[in-house]
Amino acid sequence: MTLFHILVDGLARNRLLVVILAGFALFPIYTGIADLPFWNDLAMRIMILGMAAMGLNLVLGYGGMVSFGHAAFVGIGAYAVGISQFYGLDNGWIHVLISLLACGVLGLVIGFLSLRTTGIYFIMITLAFAQMLYFLFISLEEFGGDDGMSIDRADFMPIDLWEPLRLYYLIWVALLCVSLFLMVIVRSRFGVVLEAIRGNESRVEAMGLVPLRFKITGYVISAMICGLAGTMFASWQEYVSPDIMHWTRSGELMIIIILGGIGTLAGPLLGAVAFLLLEEWLPELMHVVAPEYAENWMIIFGPVLIAVVLFARGGLIGLIRRIGGGGS
Amino acid sequence: MSAPVLILDGLTKSYGALCATRDVSLQVAAGEIHALIGPNGAGKTTLVRQIYGSETPDSGTIRLCGQTVNHLSVPQRVRRGIGRSFQISNVLMGFTVFENAVIAEAARRGEAFRFLRPAFSDPALVEGAMAILVRVGIEGRAGTRVADLAHGEKRLLELALALAGDPALLLLDEPMAGAGPEETQHMIEIIARLRSDVGILLIEHDMDAVFRLADQVTVLVEGAVIASGEPQAVAADAAVRAAYLGGDDDAEA
Repeated sequence: MTLFHILVDGLARNRLLVVILAGFALFPIYTGIADLPFWNDLAMRIMILGMAAMGLNLVLGYGGMVSFGHAAFVGIGAYAVGISQFYGLDNGWIHVLISLLACGVLGLVIGFLSLRTTGIYFIMITLAFAQMLYFLFISLEEFGGDDGMSIDRADFMPIDLWEPLRLYYLIWVALLCVSLFLMVIVRSRFGVVLEAIRGNESRVEAMGLVPLRFKITGYVISAMICGLAGTMFASWQEYVSPDIMHWTRSGELMIIIILGGIGTLAGPLLGAVAFLLLEEWLPELMHVVAPEYAENWMIIFGPVLIAVVLFARGGLIGLIRRIGGGGS
Repeated sequence: MSAPVLILDGLTKSYGALCATRDVSLQVAAGEIHALIGPNGAGKTTLVRQIYGSETPDSGTIRLCGQTVNHLSVPQRVRRGIGRSFQISNVLMGFTVFENAVIAEAARRGEAFRFLRPAFSDPALVEGAMAILVRVGIEGRAGTRVADLAHGEKRLLELALALAGDPALLLLDEPMAGAGPEETQHMIEIIARLRSDVGILLIEHDMDAVFRLADQVTVLVEGAVIASGEPQAVAADAAVRAAYLGGDDDAEA
């Protein structure tokens, strides 16, 4: 089986993912015709958050490791751009490389130290590491501290990101690469062993495998994907502050995953679409329905999320599958 | 009789004041079924856990195929030839019977750490996976999800996974636990057939099964060996009758 066959076979089994990716690829045509450039901006944000959520989902959904600190890796990815530029390094490809390397090493260290624990201890340790990094960047006055630092759109030679839509399609290609990569590895031997560990670590051990090795590898991969999302985020927002690493951001990623469908390939992406659209539309809806409460739109947002978690088992993906009569 | 695959020498393990294993020495030869019996709380599972590597003995040595394995982790010992079935079925839930076997086959070949080809349709694994299932006769249930298996079938899959790594020593912790009479019968036949391939240490409460299968029997009471030898000799042993079989001379063996 060649890589080509593996990819074709994988895409045929993940039609929803294909539909979503194709949707993002074609979306600018619609916004171009309808003259709604703002929506491109939102779509980029969805793709970036979706990419980060897909990365986290590898450990959270497939590996069953509830990491509550993945926003830190998104932040490191974004700061990799800012700090590189601070020292005069403008090449975006090198930013990506630095970010992957930094998140890989950091993921290895944090994973090595925290993956010996499970359950609530693991959640707390990953949270603690993320908060440590958050406060570290607040204290780094040189890089803007609390105020953050502004970033120039990176120089991805020969792509000129200042041309319209170039940044959009750069983000899209990054998302495509992440999607294909995850699609392949979750079905590979590594992927199924990771899933087996989630269900029954002691049986995997009894097969002569070292679970920690698989868990750390998964953790590092997921950290690197979040780092890549962070570098994209930096060019999109042209600004980075420690806020990106705040623990509520980690929580947001987890909500996106659960909303879309935990442990599924397209789930986190679908979750990001739903999450950010709700965040966009609910305040507007509130303005129309009950203007005096418009700023309290989260009163609706919270119950909607709870309803999905409680009643749509398997998130939106589960809902789609049941409506589509897919059964499993 | 062939060379021992397992030699325990003076194994001792305490939890505080409780002595779970007292100076236990025993041997399991290749091609032999060695039954470990004793009342509840006698320390049988604790002993198995020390052999398997999930508990560390305070003193004494564990030798597997001639090599001391005291310092080795569970996966290391498994790769050196230990297969284990657990008291409570310990199979990969959420997967099918076939998928369980595929993962076990990938592990057996030492090729689980690969990232490219889809595991469950990999021709390199499919054949070996089916062979794992055929050994215990559940290949007919290959496509069934583990959650949908009957209890007895789950026990068989458990045994299949324990055997998957081609172990030299098989640790069977109550393989008949919770099985009905027919399932027990079936399991006894399968274990009897395995005899020629591996050395088996069998913990079992079903005395009928023990006396039909065992070549050697060791009786553990309060962590210590009180008798060891051929089944008939052990059954006739006065200390065993007193401590284990009821303490009453009329008790049937």
